[in-house]
Amino acid sequence: MLHLLPFPGPRGKSLQFHSFDQSYLDRLRAGDFRAQEHFGAYFGALIQIKLRSRVNSPEAIEDIRQETLARFFVALREGRILQPESMGSFVNSICNHVLLEHYRAGTRLESLDDDPQRDFPAKGADVLTLLSAKETEKKVREVLNQLSERDRRVLREVFFEERDKDEVCRNFGVDRDYLRVLLHRAKQSFKSLYLKDKDKKKDKNKTLGDDAPEATSA
Amino acid sequence: MKRLGASGHYTEGGIAAMDHELVARQGMTERYLLGELDADARHEFEEHFFDCSECALDVRAGALFVEQSKVLLADESRTTGASRPAPARPSWLAALLGMFKPAFAVPVMAVLLAVIGYQNLVTYPQLKLALNSPRVPPFALVNIGSYGASGQPLSIRPGEGFLLFTRIPPDGYPRHVAELYNPAGKLEWSLAIPLSAPDTSPRQDQFPLQVPGAQREAGIYTLVVRGLTAAGESKEVGRGSFELQFRNDTNQGN
Repeated sequence: MLHLLPFPGPRGKSLQFHSFDQSYLDRLRAGDFRAQEHFGAYFGALIQIKLRSRVNSPEAIEDIRQETLARFFVALREGRILQPESMGSFVNSICNHVLLEHYRAGTRLESLDDDPQRDFPAKGADVLTLLSAKETEKKVREVLNQLSERDRRVLREVFFEERDKDEVCRNFGVDRDYLRVLLHRAKQSFKSLYLKDKDKKKDKNKTLGDDAPEATSA
Repeated sequence: MKRLGASGHYTEGGIAAMDHELVARQGMTERYLLGELDADARHEFEEHFFDCSECALDVRAGALFVEQSKVLLADESRTTGASRPAPARPSWLAALLGMFKPAFAVPVMAVLLAVIGYQNLVTYPQLKLALNSPRVPPFALVNIGSYGASGQPLSIRPGEGFLLFTRIPPDGYPRHVAELYNPAGKLEWSLAIPLSAPDTSPRQDQFPLQVPGAQREAGIYTLVVRGLTAAGESKEVGRGSFELQFRNDTNQGN
């Protein structure tokens, strides 16, 4: 199974493609920096998205994210991860456990900084930091500018003002399907803009002799 | 929603492909980002996109777009001040409220302050000085019962008041009322002339009438005097006239 990391790494280097296979697992277990960086960025972003609707405090989200990644690496060293292809499900499962513990504790999780055995992956950049802020803003602005004034106002009221979606739909004379389609199209435009930009960078890297691994889709 | 199943779907290509297509067909990413999924569906979708690179990319791109849109749309909202459709207001109310907008109110307030400052520093001191200084007000002599405008024209500044030295010949009426008519023949005001003391000897027949300042027009003014009987009956005893002129100098004197 191959996983594409579509956003540049936090240091600006595109990690391109990684295969979640035994080799990847071995690199993680061996403490390979780039593999750990990729792992932290990729799953850190997904964990953050998952937690955003469940946990209010950004500090708690960060705690849970770190704890999830830390437990994964403990399990990895202990040889409890046998199927590299199920790595994502395993991470999600750990995250669910940590989240439950967070709910039960009702407080912030205990710091793990004192445990010398725990080898943290590189602090993964979340989705907002994976792209440079400027690049992201430019692309999103481009997408928003392509929308009609009404569609922009719909998005503003739903996401920025967080108003009741049914009420927003009623006010603008649209239904919930329209809202989904609107978001879908905006998201697709954003994705295509990003991928176009990524292809350009890849071509440039090739010209410069970058030997980043290429891969075919799974 | 079809159950997305447990982990490991991607190792079983057919099921995984079908699940992914189902997810795409049902717009699960959009529903997820819009918070429309119930707890079970949300849990299953998360389990899916943690294992599915395409859906993970989709979710991440969508989440990034939403987050950045919030920032940009918030900026736009602050710039335009149009965060939501404004309820319709009556035009008069909108105009009234518009007067309180800084773009209008600030210059108006500045002008008002300048006017108030000028009045307090220049106009009022001048008026106070004028009121408290001795001076000879403009005046005219009006002989009731004579014909034609009396003597020299009365020359005043526009809006200025004046005195009318009125002479009423003896007529036997105990009381009198004076009425001033402008050049157009319209009554401007009337005034009851107070009784003279009965034991006054000789009886008073001249009265200074103070005419307040007002916007008047130049021309021949007529003062009509009526005698009032004890029973309240009135009869014209005579009239006199004077010519009013305007001068534009700033001298205080007549």
